[in-house]
Amino acid sequence: MKQRLIVTPDLCTGCRTCELACAFAHSVKGKPGRSRIYPLPTGKHEMWTPVVCLHCDDPACAKSCLVDAITRNEETGAMELDNDKCVKCMACVAACPFGCSLHDAQHDLVVKCDLCGGDPVCAHFCPTKALTCRPVIPTRRKAVV
Amino acid sequence: MRIETPQQLTRLRKDCLARFNRHPQKIHVCCGPGCLANGAQKVSDELKKVIKKKRLKGFSVDALKETGCHGFCEQGPLVVVEPAGTFYTRVKVKDVEEIIDKTIRRKEVLERLLFTDPQTGEKIENYRDIPFYARQQRIALRNIGQISQCDIDEYIAVDGYQALAKALKKMSPQDVIDEVTTSGLRGRGGAGFPAGRKWSTCARADDSPHYVICNGDEGDPGAFMDRAIMEGDPHSVIEGMIIAAYAVGAHEGYIYVREEYPLAVVNLQKAIEQAHEYGLLGDGILSSDFSFDVHVSRGGGAFVCGESSALMKSIAGEVGEPRAKYVRSVLKGLHDKPTVLNNVESYANVPVIIDKGGKWFSAIGTKKSTGAKAFSLVGKVRNTGLIEVPMGTTLREIIYDIGGGIQNDRPFKAVQTGGPSGGCLPESKLDLPVDFDTLTEAGSMMGSGGMIVLDDHTCVVDLAKYFLAFLVDESCGKCVPCREGLYQLYGLAVAISEGRGTEADLDKMEKLSDTIVISSLCGLGKSGPNPFLSTIRYFRDEYLAHIRDKKCPAGVCRELIRYEVDPQKCDGCMACITACAQNAITGKKKEVHTIDQDACDKCGACLAVCKRDAILVL
Amino acid sequence: MVSLTINGRVVQANKGEMLLSVTRREGIDIPALCHHDAVEPFGACRLCMVEITKAEWDGWTNYVAACLYPVEDGLIVQTHSSKVNELRRTVLDLLLARCPNSPEIRQLAAEYGVTQTAYEEIPDADNCILCGLCTRVCERLGFKAISTVGRGHDKVVAPPLKEAPPDCVGCLSCAQVCPTNVIQYEDEGNKRTIWNKSFELIACKECGKQTITRDFAEALSSQRNIPEDYFELCDECHRRELSVKMGSIVSWSREAAS
Repeated sequence: MKQRLIVTPDLCTGCRTCELACAFAHSVKGKPGRSRIYPLPTGKHEMWTPVVCLHCDDPACAKSCLVDAITRNEETGAMELDNDKCVKCMACVAACPFGCSLHDAQHDLVVKCDLCGGDPVCAHFCPTKALTCRPVIPTRRKAVV
Repeated sequence: MRIETPQQLTRLRKDCLARFNRHPQKIHVCCGPGCLANGAQKVSDELKKVIKKKRLKGFSVDALKETGCHGFCEQGPLVVVEPAGTFYTRVKVKDVEEIIDKTIRRKEVLERLLFTDPQTGEKIENYRDIPFYARQQRIALRNIGQISQCDIDEYIAVDGYQALAKALKKMSPQDVIDEVTTSGLRGRGGAGFPAGRKWSTCARADDSPHYVICNGDEGDPGAFMDRAIMEGDPHSVIEGMIIAAYAVGAHEGYIYVREEYPLAVVNLQKAIEQAHEYGLLGDGILSSDFSFDVHVSRGGGAFVCGESSALMKSIAGEVGEPRAKYVRSVLKGLHDKPTVLNNVESYANVPVIIDKGGKWFSAIGTKKSTGAKAFSLVGKVRNTGLIEVPMGTTLREIIYDIGGGIQNDRPFKAVQTGGPSGGCLPESKLDLPVDFDTLTEAGSMMGSGGMIVLDDHTCVVDLAKYFLAFLVDESCGKCVPCREGLYQLYGLAVAISEGRGTEADLDKMEKLSDTIVISSLCGLGKSGPNPFLSTIRYFRDEYLAHIRDKKCPAGVCRELIRYEVDPQKCDGCMACITACAQNAITGKKKEVHTIDQDACDKCGACLAVCKRDAILVL
Repeated sequence: MVSLTINGRVVQANKGEMLLSVTRREGIDIPALCHHDAVEPFGACRLCMVEITKAEWDGWTNYVAACLYPVEDGLIVQTHSSKVNELRRTVLDLLLARCPNSPEIRQLAAEYGVTQTAYEEIPDADNCILCGLCTRVCERLGFKAISTVGRGHDKVVAPPLKEAPPDCVGCLSCAQVCPTNVIQYEDEGNKRTIWNKSFELIACKECGKQTITRDFAEALSSQRNIPEDYFELCDECHRRELSVKMGSIVSWSREAAS
């Protein structure tokens, strides 16, 4: 079942718990990795929004990857990056129009949201339900995020 | 003119025979590489000129054939007058007029040009009586020397393309494979893989298209069997390939020829053109629905491109580096498609097998190595040249009976077979029958058929060093054990030859060799340490002499020898003084000379020029 | 699916899969310097040699490069037998003679008990082990800017004619995949230099941060149809832009609701 991470900016308080959860969920050799999710101020109504990969239908990251290291996980719907295949050319980091492919300088890895294999940890830890996860229900209406 | 039916082919054969038999006598001039180097072309041109000038009855220029290599390169240029088989050796331009006047016109034999048997001192007229030829059995080399280098009519006259007609018209592809399997033919390129099994695996492979490739990248130093076949009888190779293609369902083939064989390329291309004209290549061969075409692909001269996977990469236009063959090239070869790759000599055997039957072929040779094998016999043997003997012939027969023994009656030391990655066999192994398995068991290998005979003036450490240097130079450099390992092995061999080696180095070399053999990527690396392994196996004492006594028993390794003048023998002729480039020898006429050891660079020039054996190697 | 035994443990694998990817999945540490998942297995470093046998082989064993060996049903694999370790030790010893100054090779060799090479160190050695990863990755990316030149012991990795490579876009992938970090490059100001060729780095029009070269961006735009303006901002500014947009959308919808 394809999952989608639903972001509701109205509910985000900018507590950045999601960021912590993500970093620990993506630890490398016991050290927290770079968070794939970034709660940022929107500049309006003191409102925050967690910026995270949209797993686009026509993803610039995968198109820019010349070694095909970024592919869609058909089960979860996530665009996943295979670090064993990645040659760290930074094409996806530069090409993603939402800045959601990142370079984890500490571990020297290119990283992006993988929906934690279908059960995003960030959603579990979000105290205000600004982040929730639910299966995609095919619909004609275009979702905002 | 296209040949449409086997009957037409037979008719053409008769016509050709009638045409060639118009002349009661024929002259064959060997234009193999050895004879050409000795001036065979000039002899042939002079013969043509003289024949035209003399206007003999029943003899014209058409009765002169420039043939491929007769094999007895040592005695070239060779001229044979058929049908008597009169065999003239070392023929010069000035002998030509006499040959025409006496042998052709008056049927007289020119004694002075005949071959002298070194053992009996007798002159032998007919080449079939010369031991060098008498003991051979020529299958792959059957036509070479008998027909012009590149004339399809002559090939057809000696039953050429009959096997193809038989295969296409009377046999199914499976029948062809069965016949080759029955023959027991094993790949002549070195590995000795059964050709029938290879063909049937390819024929059964699902993927398409299938390819056939002929490996003509003969890179072993001193080997020229394939060259002789490609130059002297290209049609036998092409016919073999067409039959193979029919058997495995291929429609495209490549002959990969090394850059150093320009004449082979020219002759093969000519032969392919001729075969096209007769409709023996191209679409609908002999009016069947089988189509096949061959291209000549020229290598760049890298030894490693003789390795099958590197060769296929080279044909495809990639860098000629081997790949691991856990998936065999017969299933994933050229362009990753099923491919049959055989060597030139293997293909040249195929028409005979189809013609005379697999049973006939398997009766020749030994049980597991059937047929005959061509060798290029070189080194310190009297009769150097190209030979073909039944499998199972002993080394002694080859070296002493065919080869006429060691030059200058020196003692035999070893014979090196199998090219650079082969090995050396000592005197105790002389009675071994030559076949794939026996040679491998003895620590050498058949290889493609190079055979280098060594006398007591050859140092095995120096020999190992030479071959290792060759392999270091020819390693493609892809995998670490071959690239780095052979380099280090060579370095250690150099150290021993220079007197810097230790016994611990020998252990190190053996351990290193073991790793290279096991872990290298391709056959070149896996057999790379053989020059060392086979010499240490049989000549450990000689290595130890270099290490412990700092002596080279053969008197070869420069760092371990010195030249001195024997005052008893030196007559003061000053020849060595003139020859010495270092001006290291001093002395007056008719007085004993002396060599200044500090100035001497041990080039051996003095030894070579001294007529009184007065230069001692110590 | 096929079933094989690795170090005494029965393991399932997909047909056609290479032995090395199975052992890696199983968490078995086999050294491999020339292997990268972005490119086809190559089999050059020979460090991933393992011992294989089968019940029906009558005690006969073989040594194969795991990176290239397709799994087979019933295969019995030893990844660290004493013979395998000895082979690896010798190969590492040879590599250490070639690259005595490479920290990566020194460390790996030390893990196998080799601290000083038994062989003659190669004079003027650089740290290149000729694994060919840089050239193969470059080819995989489609640029083919560098290749190996020559053969045997004198082989080197170089651009054509050893001049600044016309096809290089300065993506640094070659340097990134190099197992011994031998490929040098320099980022200074808005200039990147690699293989003696200079490239302009695209600076984020908001913050000035640099990610990739203009040549690389242009190649991606033309080959992969990615709008050129995507490359104008850095990832951070892209995220900020998105959050600001989100704010506008939400406040617009609030206003519309009220």
